This record gives sequence, C-alpha cells and structure tokens, in this order.
Amino acid sequence: MDRAEALRILEDARRDGVAAVHGAADLDALRQLEVMVLGRRAQVAKVQRELGRLPADDRPDVGRAVNETFEALRGAVAEREAALRAQADDAVAEADRIDVTLPGRRPPPGGLHALTEIEREVVDAFVSLGYRVSEGPELETEWYNFDALNFPPDHPARLTQDTVYPDVPGRDDLVLRTHTSPVQIRTMESQEPPIYVVIPGRCFRRDTPDATHLPVFNQVEILAVDEGLSLADMKGTLEAFARALFGPDQRIRIYPDYFPFVEPGAGVDVSCFLCGGGGCRVCGNGWIEILGAGMVHPALFENTGIDPERYTGFAAGLGIERIAMLRHGVPDIRMYYEGDVRFLSQVAGRA
Amino acid sequence: MRVPLSWLREYTPVSGPVEDLAERMTMHGLPVDRIIRPWEGLMGVRVGRVLEVSDHPGADRLCRIVVDDGGGQHEVVVGVRNMAPGDVVPYAPPGATLPGFEGKLERRDIRGVLSEGMLCSPKELAISGDHGGILILPGDLDPGADLKEALELDQAVIDLEVLANRADLLSIVGVAREVAAMTGDELRVPRAEATGGPGRAEDVVTVEVTDREKCPRYLARVIRGVSIAPSPLGAQVRLAAAGIRPRSNVVDATNYVMLEVGQPLHAFDLHLLAGPGIVVRRASEGERLTTLDGAERSFTEDDLLIADRDRPVAVAGVIGGADTEVTGATSDVLLESARFQPVSVFRTSRRLGLRTDASTRFDRGVDPEGVEAAADRAAAMIAAWSGGTALEGAVDVGEVPTRRTVAVRSDRASALLGVPVVPSDVRQALGRLLIPATEEDGRVVAEIPGHRVDLEREVDLIEEVGRITGYGRIPSTLPGVRQAGGLDRFHRLRRQIRDLLSGAGMYEALSYSFGPAGDAEVSALARPPLRIANPISEEDGFLRASLLPGLLRAARRNVGHRRTSVRLFEVGTVFAATGARPDEEERVAVILTGPAAEQWPADRREQDFLDGKGILEHLLDGMGVAGWSLGGPPHGLWHPGRSATVLIGTELAGELGELHPRIGGAFDLVGRVTAFELRLAPVVEAALAEPGYRELSRFPPLRRDVAFVVGARVPAGEVRTTLEQAGGPLLDRVVLFDVFEGDPLPAGTRSLAFALDLRAPDRTLTDEEADAVVRSIAERLQAEFGARLRSG
Repeated sequence: MDRAEALRILEDARRDGVAAVHGAADLDALRQLEVMVLGRRAQVAKVQRELGRLPADDRPDVGRAVNETFEALRGAVAEREAALRAQADDAVAEADRIDVTLPGRRPPPGGLHALTEIEREVVDAFVSLGYRVSEGPELETEWYNFDALNFPPDHPARLTQDTVYPDVPGRDDLVLRTHTSPVQIRTMESQEPPIYVVIPGRCFRRDTPDATHLPVFNQVEILAVDEGLSLADMKGTLEAFARALFGPDQRIRIYPDYFPFVEPGAGVDVSCFLCGGGGCRVCGNGWIEILGAGMVHPALFENTGIDPERYTGFAAGLGIERIAMLRHGVPDIRMYYEGDVRFLSQVAGRA
Repeated sequence: MRVPLSWLREYTPVSGPVEDLAERMTMHGLPVDRIIRPWEGLMGVRVGRVLEVSDHPGADRLCRIVVDDGGGQHEVVVGVRNMAPGDVVPYAPPGATLPGFEGKLERRDIRGVLSEGMLCSPKELAISGDHGGILILPGDLDPGADLKEALELDQAVIDLEVLANRADLLSIVGVAREVAAMTGDELRVPRAEATGGPGRAEDVVTVEVTDREKCPRYLARVIRGVSIAPSPLGAQVRLAAAGIRPRSNVVDATNYVMLEVGQPLHAFDLHLLAGPGIVVRRASEGERLTTLDGAERSFTEDDLLIADRDRPVAVAGVIGGADTEVTGATSDVLLESARFQPVSVFRTSRRLGLRTDASTRFDRGVDPEGVEAAADRAAAMIAAWSGGTALEGAVDVGEVPTRRTVAVRSDRASALLGVPVVPSDVRQALGRLLIPATEEDGRVVAEIPGHRVDLEREVDLIEEVGRITGYGRIPSTLPGVRQAGGLDRFHRLRRQIRDLLSGAGMYEALSYSFGPAGDAEVSALARPPLRIANPISEEDGFLRASLLPGLLRAARRNVGHRRTSVRLFEVGTVFAATGARPDEEERVAVILTGPAAEQWPADRREQDFLDGKGILEHLLDGMGVAGWSLGGPPHGLWHPGRSATVLIGTELAGELGELHPRIGGAFDLVGRVTAFELRLAPVVEAALAEPGYRELSRFPPLRRDVAFVVGARVPAGEVRTTLEQAGGPLLDRVVLFDVFEGDPLPAGTRSLAFALDLRAPDRTLTDEEADAVVRSIAERLQAEFGARLRSG
C-alpha cells in the first residue's frame, strides 16, 4: 500500500461510512454500523495498522488523514445517535399525549369566611398602627354593657340597642353584649394607660332577621387612652386606618354624633371606595358612613379608676358586615350566615 | 322627627336647595335620614269654584256639580253634597293623580253623566282621615291655582334622626334654634299672647300632686265654650306633613304646640272629670284604665297616673284615658301642661310596651322653662280655633327649677378638640346656641337653659364648641404610639386554626348563635343549653351549645342545592347553663359528607371517619399539639362503631366521628356524615410555641417492609405505638402502608404492613443491626398482640 492508495481508501471509507451512518434507521442499526465503520475490521482501522509499513515520509500525512477519518465517522455516529434519540423521545411523548383542557387534579377548594377576612384586615390595619388585640366575653353583665359605659338605667339610649337576655334563674344582670364596647371597660380596668387596643367580636341585638338586620353581627372597635390625645388624633388615626383598608386615596370626614360612652361624639364617613367619591348608586353623595367614634367620656374613666384630668382617649367602632356588603355588593346580609358554598366560594378570603 | 320646611321657615330663614340644607344639618350633628315629599302622589289637582249643584238624573245619592277651574267649566259627579255654589273646592281633572289611587284619573260615565274628574275629600288628598264630604277650601284661593302650591303641599319635609340625648330637637322650634346657630341667622320664637277671659281657672278646677318627684310640675288651664270642628286647613296640612293625623281643633292645637315647642299637652273634657279636680298620684297595684287607643291596661305602684277625684283618667306622660277624651260633644276643656320625671315615664312606657309622641319627649326630658308658655300658646290656639274662651290664669303646682351652671376651661377644650380654643371662642360658640355665659378667672361659666337637658358637664359644652367650630376644621394628626402592636397568643393561634382548616380544602361557615330546643339532641360535648329570656322566635329559643347544629343546617342547604360534597368548618362561641354563672367557650367544628370531591378526575369516594380523623391530625399536628390521643366512643350522637373522644393529655378536648345515621336523616343527609368538635382552650394550651430541632442523619436508612397478622379487632394504633417503642432509637420513621383482610389470611385476622426506616445518626447501619431491630419488634408484637410476622 502506498501513500496514494491509503489516502484513497480513507477517503472512500469516510464518504461511505458517513453516508451509511446517516442512513441508519434506528439505534440498533446504528450500533451495527458503528462497529462496521469504526471497529477493528473497518477500512480506517486497516489503514491505521498499515501505517508502520509506509515510508517514513508518508506517515505524517496518512496518520493525520486516519485521525481525521476517525473523527468524522465518530462525529457522524454521535450526530445520528442524537437525531435517533430525539425521534424516539418524540414518539414516546406523542404516545403519551393528553388533553390539556381536562380539569386539573386539584386539592379540594376552601377558604376563610369573608367576614373573618375583613375582620383580619381591620385588626391588622390597627396592629400596624401599634394596637394590640383585646377580647371579652359575649355573655356580659349589664354593668359592663351599659352602666359602666354611661348608659343610664331607664334612659332612651338603651332602646337604641335592643337587648337579648339569657334566662338565668336568680340573675337579671346578664345580657348578650350589644356591642364590643364592654371590652373598653374591661381593658381600662385591667391595664394602665397608655392603652391602644383593637377589639373584634360578635355582638347581639334583638333584631328580626331581614335583608339588612341580623340578631348577630360582628364589630371591631378601638380604644386609645394616653396623655394628650385629641379629636385630631382620632381623625388622623381613622384616616390612616381608612387608607390601610380601602386604599391610599381615601379621605374621611367627621361630624357630631351621639353615643353615651363618648363625648364629643362623632360619626365618620369615608369617601366611597366604589366610585371614588364622585357619587354612585350605593353612596349617593360620595360618602359612606362606616364608623361611630368620639373622645372617651370622662364617666368611663371615673368608672375604671383612670384620672380623667391626666388622660384623654378616643374610641371608634365599625360593623364588619356592613363593610362586607358594600365591598361585595351583597344585597342580603343573611347570606353571610347560611353556609351556602356557592356564596362562600364567591366571597371567600384566600387562605 | 319630621320637620316641614315651610314650618321651619316660620322661625328662621332657610334658603337654597333642601338637599344642601340636609347635608349641612347632618354635618352639624342633626342627622337627616331622608327628605320626604308627602304629597308626591298628588298631581294636577286645581282650585275650583262651584257654580252649580244639582241632582243627578239617574241616581238619588249622587249630584252634578259644575265647577270653574279658571280655564273653563266642567261637569263632575259627586257622591256627597256638602258644597254650595260659590264654595271653593279641590278639583281633580282627568289626568290628575291622587295619593291613594292607582294611575291617572279619566273621564268616566257615571250613570249617564260624563264626569270630568272629581272633587276631593280631605282623606282623598291625604290631609286627614275625614271622608265625610268634599274639602271646602278658604274662599280667597284663586280658581285655577295648583292646589299643592296653594296649600303648601309641595313643601319638602326633612326627616331628622333625633339623637337620644337631644330632647330639644323633638320640636320645630328646637330644630330652628340649631339651624339658626348653624347659619348665624336670627331665630323668631312664637310667643303666646296672654289671654284670659271671664272667670279664673282656679275657681273651676283643683290640682293635687302627691308625688312631686315623679311630677315636678303640673299646670292646668281651662277653656270654655269650645265647639269641636276641623282646625284651620293650614294647621291640618302642617300636622299631616309632620306625620300626625289631624282630628279636631282642640286635639290638633295640643299636637300643634307639642310639635312646635316640644311640650306634650293633653286636653280633657272638663265635664267628664269628677270634681272637677286633677290628682296626680301613683297607681295602686293592678289598677286599670282603658286608654285612648282602646286597650285596657293595668298598672303597678311604680306607675304615675293622672286621676280625677274618683278614678284614673290618664297615664302620666304616656297616653290619655278613653272616657275623658275630647269628643264632638265637648264644650269645656281642661288643658294639661306638665313635666314628669323622665325615668318614670320611660319605665311605664316600657312596661306598657307603648311609645307615644308624649312619652318619647318626656323620657328624654322636656324644657322645664317652657311648661307655662306652651300651655298659654295652646290655650290661645284652642280659643281661637274653636270659638271658646280661655279662663284667666292657671292652676299651677310646682315651679321652674333654677338653671345649673357649668364651667368650661378653654385649654381643656383645646386639648380635647385638637384645635386652639380661647375663652372668647367658647363664649361665642355658646352665644350662637343662645346659652348665656360669663368669663370668670379664665373659665367660661355657662348658664344652661332649660331645653338643653343634655348639657351637664364640661365635656358636653366642649362638644358644643366643637360643633359650632365645625368638626371639618379639626386637623388630622397621628398619635405617637409608644408600643409595638400585635396579636396575643390566643388570637394568633385561632387564626392558625382557621388557616389550617381552610388550607385543608374546607370553607369556613358562620352560623347564628341561637337555635331551637331540639338542637340539644345534636350537640357535641353536650352541656345543658342556655335558654333565652326574650327570644325573637321559637326557633331561636336557646343559645347554641355546640357548633354542629349550625353546620348540619349548612350541610343540608348545600346538599339541597346539589352541592353534595360538603366540607365546612366553623370557629365560634358556644354557651351552657351552668348555674348562676353560665359558661361560654370557643370551639372549632368540622363537618364532612358526600364525596371527597365532586368533579372528575378528583376523588368521588364517600368521605368517612378517616377523612375526619385526617383533618383532625392535620389540624393538631399543624398546631404542634403533642400528646393527643383518641379515647373511647362518646355518647349517642355518634355512630357507636365509628367515633372517639379526643384527648389532649388526659383532658377531654373534643369528639370525633361519623354521626349516628338517624341524625343525618333528621337533616335530610343521606350517607355518612363525619364531624368533629374541639374546645379551643386545650388545643391552644397544648400548641407548641417553638418547634424543636432534631439532628438530621447524613447516613442512608435501611428500609424494611414488615407485615404482621393480628386479630381483626386489635387496634392498629396500639400496634403502631408498641412497634415504635420496641424499635428503639434506630427506628427513624414508620409508615403504615397496607391493611389487608381475607384470603389467604385466617378469618378474624388482618395484616398490617409497615415500612420501617432504620437509621443511626453517626454511621451506616449494617444489615445485622437492622435485622436485630426487626426481630425485637416482632418478638414484642408477638408477646403483646399475638402478632405473627408475615414477611420481612
């Protein structure tokens, strides 16, 4: 074998080998071809073995050509193998195809009650302002629910809170609390100022259920007692709260109102969070009444042993159901207490 | 309180749209509920003059009227005949609408005569209840004029919500006083002309008050020679607009003055009073009186009555008696103007279940300075409207109390309101409210007029300063809260319970706190239910003793709507009758029924005990509650073979199980109903505050799958517990992966298959070590349960 013959053999082996490898129909065929074109009996291997017998001058050229041929054939095999593997994967994937529009296999749906969710938002808004949660019993005494809160006995103010009474033989001083305000008294009794608490809870009034009334409902109120608190502080606090709950552009307005346990007393409107304050079907004039508030009446301080000359305070309360109805556009308050999953899932908070 | 705008204008000028006024009033502390236009339904009725009255040719009881409405003559058929040619009457032509009638009037053939509309009675115009004849209008009205304009029926009425402390706003003058303070305009208060005819009241009647605490003032005037008739039309319209139906001149005058100045008045027929003399006294126990509304009422010794020499004739401050009321036959009248103790009136009115215009004023407190003026004004009005004569003077028991004074520190006002206030600001604000005030040592001392019963202490006056200043001018500041906010542990853990359950694929429901007596049968952790003394209905007679009844009702509702896969929970308070101090506690409950999920390809398997237990495990493990276990089955609410008590440590914390089939049936639930109810306190008590760390081994575990054949009734939980004990420290993890019963196992046995991960923290375990652990487990289970190792 001379140089020219060797190079011709290599050239043929490379051309025929690459063509054959490219024609391999599957991976098994490719394995056989790989042995044929790269194995010990392959033409290129034969030339390699003949290298030593070639004249010394020819060896470098032929040796280089051998290596190039090996590389080209190995490259062709690798390329073909990748292609065949991709084909095989595609086939498997095709056989595994599913209808992706079928419903997902999801865990059962669930969620918090809308009133729970809103109560949390309200509580968290005040917590972020530095308030701590305070709670009290639903079954209260007349003292905490009325007298200590400056509702005089036999005064028409009590009629505004039609009361449900438990039937406890030998006791006529128990009520189901008509508001969360008794917790104001309990807190002031048990804690020295400064006091900044937020008080959530269920309350009861003797209302026949209809679209806007229920005998049970949820309130959240706040109480702040400290040195130097004023109506301006109350206004600023409630403004910050309204912005936390309804959005940064919220405005509030306050006007005189009467609750026996505050003086001066105030009603609080927020700019309508549905129309932005322009006036709509829900708000009418751009304002929505959501809070009752005021400066803590000195009688409450006297009833709880806090010096009314040294400390002042403010309190404010709101109804969770009212906010929920406004936010969800729910026409009937009773829906919140029916446990109908079609409704619960619409208005559920996301857990 | 309904305030007709035209009436209000009599005492202070108001202008501009009524909506703007209402808004200003609300911002000023006079909340306006709504604006009413009482005669909205009245349209197109005109003033007409009667030209002819003649018989209807075809009907005895009808007559033909020719009426001139300014634009022409019209023929109308009328069913009464109280008018004569020349009378001015309301004429409703075709196209007009009337308050009580549907649609528009049309031309109508009435027995052969074409009637072009109708003439109207006071009742048809919704002015009074009088339907006895056509309303005869004042003769000076021009035919053709719109009736609503002519009679001021087009005036708006402001419906004011009167706050419980503001007795003075239950009168038009009181509202005018506030509006004037708000606008700065003048206030014109009506004055009674001093009237006095021949004779003196004190020569005719006597007044004796035996309880001066309950009745600090009683004043009687006498009007003689009245003739009962409708009161002037303008007064009737005002009463109607204010929501009080006009009746007759005497009664209307008392109501008119009450609405005007806020002093309730009562007119007795003088000749029906024995004596005639008034005795104001306490009732004797069980004493009875039939009141104006026709009800016979009985009284206690706490009630104050107005009596004559023989018998009760009125309930003080609440309502008059039936048999001394003014009737068409009345000629002489005794007019009562008095002041009663608010608390006493409140109690009596509450006991009788009767709130009247009088009682709502007396129980808030009427102006002690206005008792006499109101009597004088009403006496003059009665005399003028009825042609009678008011006798001179009054029989007057009691006196006008001296005014209290209240001092205000302006710096205190600044501190509370958050705006700078100087003494002159205080005086100015009080001046606007017509409250006299002087300055002493830097303090402003106010002399509280009688009508402001609500102003008792400094802070009350500071509110007045704030109101007049305007709350809108108060700035917004944020106090420097010197503490970090936060939730307490109980609150935080209660949140966690809700999050765990909703995250486990359940919706949170809320139920009423009330329920029927029958709920006791379906209560978990049952305790005696607490009865409600004044329930709204029979269905709400008890406070809930358990959360399950509410959840069962919710489940029924959902299944009724074909939402058959029910997964609900509730967190709430339940109550128990436990002697003199009834108890309340918070609980959490879960209910599951129907398929685990509703839609393919999800799980349509029926939810059962193990689903409930799974959620319980998820909850308690999620809370980090250690040392809980299941105990023996609870009472009869539950399926006896599929229920257990839940113990935390040794404390009974809850009940878990499938409900007894009869209970599901009672709530229309078919199939298994699984539930649990837990007391929150022990769960929160046992919840782990901080999770602990146990070192993680870097060495691989050896896995051994072992199955034990045991008696079918041997509890798997006990087998597992024993297995864990026997496994010792090298047993890293145990999973029960199969429970098998039947061929080829002997009857009455079952196989429990566990996957065991064995691992040491410091080395790779050898097979010999692992086999030794499995051997000691097998020996222990053999010894305790007779368990046979099946494979391993």
